[in-house]
Amino acid sequence: MSDSNFDIGDIHWLMDILQNIDVGLVVLDRNYEIHLWNGFMESHSGISPQNAKGQNLFELFDEIPREWFTQKSEAVFQLKTRTFTIWEQRPYLFKFKNYRPITGRAATMYQNTSIIPLESINKTVDHICIIIYDVTDVAVNREDALKAAQSLWQLSRADHLTELPNRVVWEQEVQREYSRCCRSQNPSTLVVFDIDNLKQINAAYGHKTGDEVLKIVSDSLRQTMRQTDMPCRFGGDMFAILLVDTSEVNASRFAERIRKAIEVLDIRTQEQQLRVTASIGVAEFSNTFANETDWIHATNKALLHGKQLGGDQVTLYHSKALQ
Amino acid sequence: MSEVTLSEDQRDCYQELTNVAMGQAADRLARLLDAYVVLPIPRVNLIENSELHMAIQDAEKDAAISAVCQGFIGSGIAGEALLLFNDTSFQDLSSLMSYTGPLDRHAELELLMDVSSVLIGACIQGIGEQLEIHFNQGHPVVLGQHCQVADILKSGNHQWSKTLAIEIHYTIEHVNIDCDLLLLFTEDSVHKLNNVIDFLLD
Repeated sequence: MSDSNFDIGDIHWLMDILQNIDVGLVVLDRNYEIHLWNGFMESHSGISPQNAKGQNLFELFDEIPREWFTQKSEAVFQLKTRTFTIWEQRPYLFKFKNYRPITGRAATMYQNTSIIPLESINKTVDHICIIIYDVTDVAVNREDALKAAQSLWQLSRADHLTELPNRVVWEQEVQREYSRCCRSQNPSTLVVFDIDNLKQINAAYGHKTGDEVLKIVSDSLRQTMRQTDMPCRFGGDMFAILLVDTSEVNASRFAERIRKAIEVLDIRTQEQQLRVTASIGVAEFSNTFANETDWIHATNKALLHGKQLGGDQVTLYHSKALQ
Repeated sequence: MSEVTLSEDQRDCYQELTNVAMGQAADRLARLLDAYVVLPIPRVNLIENSELHMAIQDAEKDAAISAVCQGFIGSGIAGEALLLFNDTSFQDLSSLMSYTGPLDRHAELELLMDVSSVLIGACIQGIGEQLEIHFNQGHPVVLGQHCQVADILKSGNHQWSKTLAIEIHYTIEHVNIDCDLLLLFTEDSVHKLNNVIDFLLD
């Protein structure tokens, strides 16, 4: 290109290349009037070079924020340095609609742009060139990857059937809360419950019905608990809830509400109407627990005790009574 | 390919080249920000692959940083410029650039792009002019915002064993702005660069 003696024929095919290259080329002067508008720009904007030339960029495209763009381009004019914008910063400079009905998965074209200074013969920069790259595929793929990573993360934390957090996640929460309670001595309480007659339901109507019951119970749990409570499906027919900053008394009220909510659940299969009941164990944090496993264990003990007494009841853990 | 080496003369020459280039870059930054930019002494080193994060961590220890990387290539010489920005710098930078509006992640990205365009562009072009090489620049890539140096570099499965690294530490007088520019050349570029440098030295 630096060779100055190319003839008119060369210019002709160079213009042809500019016209056909699959990036956008726009040349602007100091007043942001358009001097060059290539085929890419024409195709995507629907504005022909004849109509674009001599027009003010901001009047033709009101989606371009004048202040933002002039700040970038003044640096190019004055400092003779290139500047770049990327789609993460601003998805597009020119709002071009998606033009691929099958493979285009974004509503508008994502763009990276380079703004380069164009030196005139006397070494001053009176024009700048904007180069527009279509990076829709890159942007969409990146967003897909982020979404996939996020849903994998959520999947790894949730129980598939009930969509409640799983036991691993819950136990980590309890561990944190145990350490916090050790420091602050604030009351927090664990509640564990299981469904008394799920085994019979599974045996009589099949696991599909049993799964349906678990889903309905978990929905009922979600409706009963507060936003700050941390529930989980502990495994099988067992659920657990961590009640932060909640005393045994308040937790047992909550447990009673759950028990009643489950008792009145109207579960219908195709032929049957089912009733279920729950046994619930409640244990407030105590300094006597050596670790969080002890605490969870104590709650389970209370639950088992209630079950032995016939189920469908709330049982509080008292260290002496249940040793 | 023979191992990359660097004689004392060559090192001095690189240092001088960088001095001139980053002086131009600092001048442009000063004009952009209307502030006095402290001119640092660039460090020129041959580093092993395993030393890369040490080279950077030297300057940035365990501060939270944001980073932009931009490739350049010309006459068979290629490399990447890495700009590491201390996150505590954004507050002062936004007032220097007279940014209005909240200084959120997005505003920080804008600042990062503006400063990296100027610093990286001017430095690369400055070196290129002296060597009579026109460098093309690729698009900047954001490597991360609010992260640690180790997070930024851990993903790199670097395809080189030993290469030339030029490190420039920029600070601005009276304000808390602190950034590191690292120019890293590809292994086979260093041989070509050394040839150009030897030509200049003769």
